[in-house]
Amino acid sequence: MARIELKEVSRIWEQAGKQTVGLKPMSLSIAEGEFIVLLGPSGCGKTTTMRIVAGLESATSGEVWIGDRCVNTLEPKDRDVAMVFQSYGLYPNMTVYANIAFPLKIRGMGREVIEPAVQRAAALVELGDLLDRKPKALSGGQRQRVALARAIVRRPSVFLMDEPLSNLDAKLRVSMRSHIKHLHHTLKVTTIYVTHDQIEAMTLADRVVVMSKAEIQQIGTPDDIYNNPENTFVAGFVGSPAMNLLEGQLQDGVFSAPGLRVPGFTSGHRGAVVLGVRPEDLAVSVASEAASNAAESATAVANHARVFSCELTGEATLVIADVGNAQTQQGQVSAQLGKQQLTAKADKSQRYAIGAPIALTIDAQKCFLFDAASQKRLRS
Amino acid sequence: MQRSKPLLQWLVYAALALWLIVASLPVIWTAIISLRDYVDAFSNPVKWSAPVTFENYRALWIDREFYRNFFNTAIVTLGTVSISLTVGCLAAYALARYRGSLGFWLLLIALIFRALPHSTLLPSFFTLFDALGIRNTYFALIFVLVAINQPFTIWMLRSFFMNIPAELDEAAMVDGCSRFQAFRRVIVPVMWPGIVTTGLFSFLLAYNDFLLSSALTNAEKMTMPVAIANSISAESEALLMQGVAGAVSITLPLIVLVVIFQRQIVSGLTQGAVKG
Repeated sequence: MARIELKEVSRIWEQAGKQTVGLKPMSLSIAEGEFIVLLGPSGCGKTTTMRIVAGLESATSGEVWIGDRCVNTLEPKDRDVAMVFQSYGLYPNMTVYANIAFPLKIRGMGREVIEPAVQRAAALVELGDLLDRKPKALSGGQRQRVALARAIVRRPSVFLMDEPLSNLDAKLRVSMRSHIKHLHHTLKVTTIYVTHDQIEAMTLADRVVVMSKAEIQQIGTPDDIYNNPENTFVAGFVGSPAMNLLEGQLQDGVFSAPGLRVPGFTSGHRGAVVLGVRPEDLAVSVASEAASNAAESATAVANHARVFSCELTGEATLVIADVGNAQTQQGQVSAQLGKQQLTAKADKSQRYAIGAPIALTIDAQKCFLFDAASQKRLRS
Repeated sequence: MQRSKPLLQWLVYAALALWLIVASLPVIWTAIISLRDYVDAFSNPVKWSAPVTFENYRALWIDREFYRNFFNTAIVTLGTVSISLTVGCLAAYALARYRGSLGFWLLLIALIFRALPHSTLLPSFFTLFDALGIRNTYFALIFVLVAINQPFTIWMLRSFFMNIPAELDEAAMVDGCSRFQAFRRVIVPVMWPGIVTTGLFSFLLAYNDFLLSSALTNAEKMTMPVAIANSISAESEALLMQGVAGAVSITLPLIVLVVIFQRQIVSGLTQGAVKG
C-alpha cells in the first residue's frame, strides 16, 4: 500500500514534426488505500495517465511518486505495481496456474512460497478448479479473474486497472464489478481504475477524476461529481440518461429560452447561460392541466412541448420532448432554430403518444447554471 | 445447390489427385532409379521393375566421401539458420514494437537488398574475401547466406511479432520482467511456431543454395548441392548414378525435418495467413 503523487505530469508525442498532446500538465494525489477512478471518453488521457504511473509510458515532464520514491526513472518491474489489462494480457502458452505464478517465479521465489500464494489468490477470485487450463479454454469472465489473481498474487502496493470490464457482457460486468469492489475492501490496496463507464466510476470509486481533452475536469467523490458538477462537460458526462443542457438567457432571476421559462433563480448573473437539469428532476404532465397551474406556480416551465419519443426502461419511462418549436407556440412556421430537446424521467406507469402535447415542470432549486462562454458552473 | 456441391467436390479431389501424381512423379522416379544400375535406370523403353542395388549409394558415400559434403552443408546451414534467426528475432521484435518512422525505412532498405539478384553481389564478395583471405571458409559462405537471408527473416518474423499484442510484453514487464526477459520468457514461447516456420525457410535457402556455395568454396568446403551438380554434369555413367543417389540423399533430411516440425509449420503458416 502506498500513496501516489503526480506532480505536473504531462505527455507530448512528437512524430514527423507534429506534436500531439496526450496529457496536459496535471497534478493528483491519491491517498493510501484509496480507490481512484479515472473517468472520461476515449482519447481524454486517462489511459496515458495510468501508463505513466505503471512506467509503460514516460512522462514528458513532471514527477510520479509512489510511496516515498520518485519512480520516474524506474522500470515497470521495480515500481511494485500490478496491472490488469482490458484484453487481459494473459500468457497464452501457460496454464492458469503458471500465469498467476509468473510474477512470483520471475522474482525467483521458491515453490514453497509460490504454491500457497497462487492457491490463495485463485481462491479470492474463485478460480480454484481451473488452474490446469490454458487461457484459451476459459470464458471472458474467467480470463479476467485470472488477470486479477495474477495482479493480487504478489501483494503489490498499487493496482492499476485499465478498463478491465469493457470486454465483458453486461451481466458479467455487474458481477465482476462487485468482485472488484469486494477485493479492494479485502486487500485495501491503493487502486487506480480507468474506465469510460460512469456507472463503474460511481459504484467503485472513493473519488472520481473526470478527464476530457487531456486534462482533469473535476476531482471529487461520486456524490460530488453527480450533485455538484464543475462544468458542462462533467454535468453532461456523468449521469444516465445524461443531464439536459439548454442554452438560453438569464435575466432578473428568470431563465428563458424559446418555449421555455424557468423563474426562481437567485443568481445575480445575467446574459447567456446554459441551464442544466437532470431528467429525474423534470416533471411531466398533460398539457392543459399544467398550463393553468403554471401561471401561478413559481416552478415552471415549458408549456408547449411535444413528445418526440417515449422509451420504457422498466424502472422508469423516459420522455424525450421537443421544446421551443415556434410552430406549436404561435402557429407560425418559423423554426427549428430555437428548438431544443429535453429528456425527462417519468414514473414507470406513465405513457405518452409520440407528438402528444405535454408540459414540463422544472424546479429552479434543482437546476445548475453554467456560463455559456466558459462552460463553468455559476454559483449564486 | 444440394446436388452440385458433392459433384464439385469430387472434381476438385480428382484434379488434386492428378496434380499430386504429376508433381510427385519425378521425385518418386528419381528415388526408384537411384536403386538401379545405369542400364536399368535409363533403359528405353522404360523398365518398371529392375534388380535393386545399393551400389550407387555405397560409391557416393564411401568412395566419393559424400559425408564430407554433408558435413559442410550441415555446418553452413546450421550456422546460417542460427545466426539469421537470432539476429532476425531481435531485429524483428524491435521493429514490430518501435513506433517511429525510421522503422519503415529500415524495412524498405532491407527489402531492396533482398530484391537484388544474388549474382550481382558475387564479384564484390570475391574481391572482399580475397583481400581478407577468407575465401573458401565456412565463415565467408555463412556470412553471405545470412546477409542474403536476413531481410526475409526480419520481414517474416516481424509480421508474426505484430500479431502478438503489446499488452503481453507490458503485462510481463509490470509482472517483473525486464524488456529482454519479457521477450525471452513470454514473447518467444508464444512466437515459437513463427520462429520454426521462418527457420525452416532460411534452412531451405542455405541448404539448397548452389550459386553462392559453388562460387565461394573449393573442393574441400564443397556443399551437397554443388557436389551433386558436379556428379550429374560429369558425363560419366557411374558419376551420374551417384548424382541421382545424392539427390535422394539430400532430400531425406528435408522430409524428416518437415515431419518433425509439421504442427508448428502448419500453425505458423496459417497464423501468418489469417492475421498477417
